[in-house]
Amino acid sequence: MTAPQTLLDALETTIVGQRATLDALLAALIAGGHVLLEGPPGLAKTLACRALASAVGGSFKRIQFTPDLLPSDIVGTRIFDQRAGEFTTVLGPIFANLVLADEVNRAPAKVQSALLEGMQEHQVTIGPQTFPLPDPFVVTATMNPLDSEGTYALPLAQMDRFLVKILVDYPTADEEVRILERFGGEQPALPRDVVSIDDVLRWRHRARAVHLEPRLKRYAVELVGASRQKHDYVDRGASPRATLALAALARARAFVEGRDFALPDDVRAVAPAVLRHRLAFNYRTLTDKVDPETIVASIVAAVPTP
Amino acid sequence: MDLLAPIVAPASAEALARLHVRAFTLTADPKSLRVGDTLRLRIVARLDERVSQLDNVTLPDLSGFDSLGDERVCTSSASGSECSEVMTLTPTVAGDRTIAPATLDAIDARNGKPSHFATNPITIHVDPAASQPPDVPNAPNALVDDLLRPLAILVIVGAAAYALLWGFGRRKTAPPPVPPPAPSAPPASVDPLPQLIAALAEQRTRARVVALRDELRRRIGAREHETLGDLLRRRAAGADATFVDVLRALERAAFVDDAQLARAIDEALRALSKWRPTP
Repeated sequence: MTAPQTLLDALETTIVGQRATLDALLAALIAGGHVLLEGPPGLAKTLACRALASAVGGSFKRIQFTPDLLPSDIVGTRIFDQRAGEFTTVLGPIFANLVLADEVNRAPAKVQSALLEGMQEHQVTIGPQTFPLPDPFVVTATMNPLDSEGTYALPLAQMDRFLVKILVDYPTADEEVRILERFGGEQPALPRDVVSIDDVLRWRHRARAVHLEPRLKRYAVELVGASRQKHDYVDRGASPRATLALAALARARAFVEGRDFALPDDVRAVAPAVLRHRLAFNYRTLTDKVDPETIVASIVAAVPTP
Repeated sequence: MDLLAPIVAPASAEALARLHVRAFTLTADPKSLRVGDTLRLRIVARLDERVSQLDNVTLPDLSGFDSLGDERVCTSSASGSECSEVMTLTPTVAGDRTIAPATLDAIDARNGKPSHFATNPITIHVDPAASQPPDVPNAPNALVDDLLRPLAILVIVGAAAYALLWGFGRRKTAPPPVPPPAPSAPPASVDPLPQLIAALAEQRTRARVVALRDELRRRIGAREHETLGDLLRRRAAGADATFVDVLRALERAAFVDDAQLARAIDEALRALSKWRPTP
């Protein structure tokens, strides 16, 4: 079985910097969850997803979300075959191991729901038939925080379906020089078939067996519970789904680092990515110009580690 | 001033802090253990105010437990403060022991009146000490036990005889006036680390690993929310590589699966044997 670190190394031959994004993509792949990437255009969000799909030898589909997109454009549709005289089903782009939902907040709610239902149920119903989605199935959705005009904000209940939300930031100056050197000429080839889909499924099995000491489980519960305490800037905290996400991601992180037991560092490291999109910040964050990230950080920091 | 200092005299209303107490709790981990094992007793006060320390807290009676150390901290955030005191204790007698509530005297910010906040009580179940497992190689200890046991019996019998004789003798004479109790001197500061290392070597349990890990964290000034990664990043452990190995080994022993615990503790003890603690 190839080690997850090999996959990370291969991805880094294409993507410069953005280690947090790559770590999150790998952890979500292993933990069996979906990733929401938020960042300005041009930060290799799409390239990272494409490189990951290529490196695991899985199928990759990209869906550009637009205001006129229809649910059938995502899940598929039934068409009438005149020669056969019957309806046949054409499967949509959601049927892939890695699906990139670009600018997911540009499509209306019913289209978002079509995607999010598949994410949750791992199956899609088209007409009278239900089709299972491939395994592994990871959706990576992107949102651009700069242009809010003409967008449909994802409701909190739908945001909760994403295992993590990663903030993609600009590269450092050194990284940008390396980007120039790497992408200034011909487009570099994507890493191909570095690991197999079977490897990924085996990683998932091993990661689920990573030991989470009872005190760490309690710590995860306290972290999520802290988000539900009365807070000047938070109206509603995270649900138990966040606790499950914390545990799954902490296990995945420990597994990637070659351990069969999780540490407080694992739980704490993934906590901001698990919590940030699950909190309902109130209007005071806007009027007081408080960065939601500092609120999440203060909630996490207030909980003693075991 | 102590963060959670006991009240000697009733505090006047003027001396009390005005606080909005959201939670004041007493917890123990574990709640069931054996004589000689360690438990962590944690008193936590969550306040709406930002405070750097909390006064006028009365700790419960902890007779029946030996204290191996404590850690006090107040952390503040946008939503207020959380003050906690974590005491590492080891029970000395078996049986169910109910620890009475800790109390906090403050002006309740909700109504402006002097108030007496109390935590929940907590019951600890203490089983008698486990006998030494036969497969643990502990020959030197066995030898010391063999030599000391007859000596201890002699001392106990002698002390009992002396007490009997002294008691009879006292009854024949009029009792002198009872002198006023001398003010108790503050307890001498004893480094608990050697005891905790010896305790772990003697009984290789998770609870003893955790107690030792807590003590080392306290020594290097670890804050309550800091992980080992944080401590290593801010070089709280200094440049001593052997100490970093100790911290890593104890972290592993504190969180590995039960099936790997014995090996992890062996590794931690090996790392500890290579480390020379500085006071």
